[in-house]
Amino acid sequence: MPGEIYHIRQGKDGSYPADGPPRRLATIVAADIAGYSRLMTIDEEGTHARVMRLRRELIEPTIAEHHGRFVKSTGDGFLAMFESPVEAVRCAIIIQQSMVGRNAALPRENWIQYRIGVNLGDVIVEPDDVYGDGVNIATRLEGIAQPGDLYISGGVYEQIKHKLVCGYQSLGDRQVKNITDPISVYRVLPDPAAVIKARPMPGLAVAVVLSVSVIASAAAATATWYFFVWQPKHLAALSEHAPAQTPNSTKPTSVAVPQTVPLTKPETRSSSATAPATPQVAITSPAQPSPIIEPEMVTLPGGKFAMGSNDDPSEKPIHQVDVKPFAISKFPITVHQWNQCVAANACANKATGKDDAPVTNVSWGDTQKFIEWISRITQKEYRLPSEAEWEYAARGGMQTKYWWGDQRLPGMANCNGCNEAYDATQPTKVGSFKPNPFGLYDMGGGVDQWVTDCWHKNYQGAPVDGSAWLDVDCSSHVIRSGSWKNDPSYVRPASRDHYDTNVRYPTHGFRVAQSL
Amino acid sequence: MLIRRTAFLAVVLTLLPIATQAQNTPAPKDAYLYFVWPQDGMKIKSPFWCRFGLRNMGVTHAGDNFANSGHHHLLIDVNAPLDPNEPIPQDKNHLHFGAGQTEAHIELPPGKHTLQLVLGDAGHYPFKPPVLSQKITVTIK
Repeated sequence: MPGEIYHIRQGKDGSYPADGPPRRLATIVAADIAGYSRLMTIDEEGTHARVMRLRRELIEPTIAEHHGRFVKSTGDGFLAMFESPVEAVRCAIIIQQSMVGRNAALPRENWIQYRIGVNLGDVIVEPDDVYGDGVNIATRLEGIAQPGDLYISGGVYEQIKHKLVCGYQSLGDRQVKNITDPISVYRVLPDPAAVIKARPMPGLAVAVVLSVSVIASAAAATATWYFFVWQPKHLAALSEHAPAQTPNSTKPTSVAVPQTVPLTKPETRSSSATAPATPQVAITSPAQPSPIIEPEMVTLPGGKFAMGSNDDPSEKPIHQVDVKPFAISKFPITVHQWNQCVAANACANKATGKDDAPVTNVSWGDTQKFIEWISRITQKEYRLPSEAEWEYAARGGMQTKYWWGDQRLPGMANCNGCNEAYDATQPTKVGSFKPNPFGLYDMGGGVDQWVTDCWHKNYQGAPVDGSAWLDVDCSSHVIRSGSWKNDPSYVRPASRDHYDTNVRYPTHGFRVAQSL
Repeated sequence: MLIRRTAFLAVVLTLLPIATQAQNTPAPKDAYLYFVWPQDGMKIKSPFWCRFGLRNMGVTHAGDNFANSGHHHLLIDVNAPLDPNEPIPQDKNHLHFGAGQTEAHIELPPGKHTLQLVLGDAGHYPFKPPVLSQKITVTIK
């Protein structure tokens, strides 16, 4: 009889059936932005616009794609509902990972980081909202999650543990506000290998870190925030030492831009390639017996340049870009530097090869792990260069085909056909060829180098302010430089190519940059 | 949709344990790699969707060492013979599909072009024996 059927989704004026509003089992995703009020203090309108844009470009489409429903915005966050716990967690992982990419090009104080909680429970569904313990628990999980983290309840874990290949770190049973029974909490780690390194930090250590940093730091507010956001996942010992360190002890070498052309006689050859003998910061920690070899950075003044060329369709149209001052590493990251990250359990795959050879076989995703680690350990904000920054740096102030002119010359770069001698099996150590006018080595040839940008097949619509060109969904990132296995046309500073974001290939490496 | 799906696949599959630098990974004798589309001799418009077919083996993510599975590489206008002892090159003529893609949106200038598929193992090396498709020729209108 038709009268017995009522609409599950009721209008505002719709009447409920006799037994009350519709209840159902649902997976609730609750998210909020860590430090939202701080972001609003820095830039109210800008932050609001960014959050709205995120919602439009990332949050809502990702939820829809996973068959979820965007229930409501909570000012600095949102509430979403899913039929399936697997889809809910997948959606949350994608949002968190997309945020890593989106933040990568920004200075850290402008990062937007979500904390996300996921719970499976019985809820009351209204047209514009959901209610019930099921929702409250999701919100509490979100509340205890670290920025950038995803916490799920035991119920969700049981449903997804054999279906989603992730790491799950049990955080034990937690008593949460206004919920009688303790909730078992799991932290989702997209990389299963990360489970080993992740250890919950004792409450005492948190207190120590916080007090030390408050006392030590003159810029109390910001610094404390850095600490809170960046330290808790890591060894307490390191954190305690960190404030004592002088982060500015490693002043990057400054380089003047040759405005016209002249090749300012650069250092002839770097004898010791990894070589940053001066900029070392000793960090005492049982896990890291050797001092961390920080990347040697070169500061570049900003400026306008013509990006692109007519040599390949992907390099068109040539367009004017105005790059802000930034610093970029003098050499690609070496095997030795990479393996220090591996030794700290922060990077996954141990690199093979000589210590002063550039690291290879790293995916774009791998580079983010390294950057997170080196930023944390040095208390400096490293990132990948943007594509525009990379080309600006590679050109060294020149608009010619190569940084040294329009003709190929031996001894300038490591590629297949660049020089008489050629070793196909491995790249030469970093700094084996002449530096460009900015004093940068291996900008062209050697190893392919990942940059922040998502791949776009040409420059139609590219940003002109030197920032990275990002998308919501980025399955392929830009690589620059060409490798020792490519022909000389890849050595050109304008040459560009791309590769799957999370796939490793034996000629792919990277160098790091810093905003100033 | 496809891109999103493959992107997701990329995210999930990289989470699996990885062992690379494999060489001479055996392939079943009856493995058959072919173009679903386009076919040899076709005159087509650019850009086009190139679809890869594989029988008696599985498609997986680069870096995964599952038996009898690999990932696609599309060779465009490549004349040099394949070196079985080196990873399949990566450049503008050797396109990699390490996220497990089975089709690709290809843009080529007008004229004749050759296309060939090669299956790569976890470390991007060809299998032993190499799993290659027929080299087809297409004409872009």
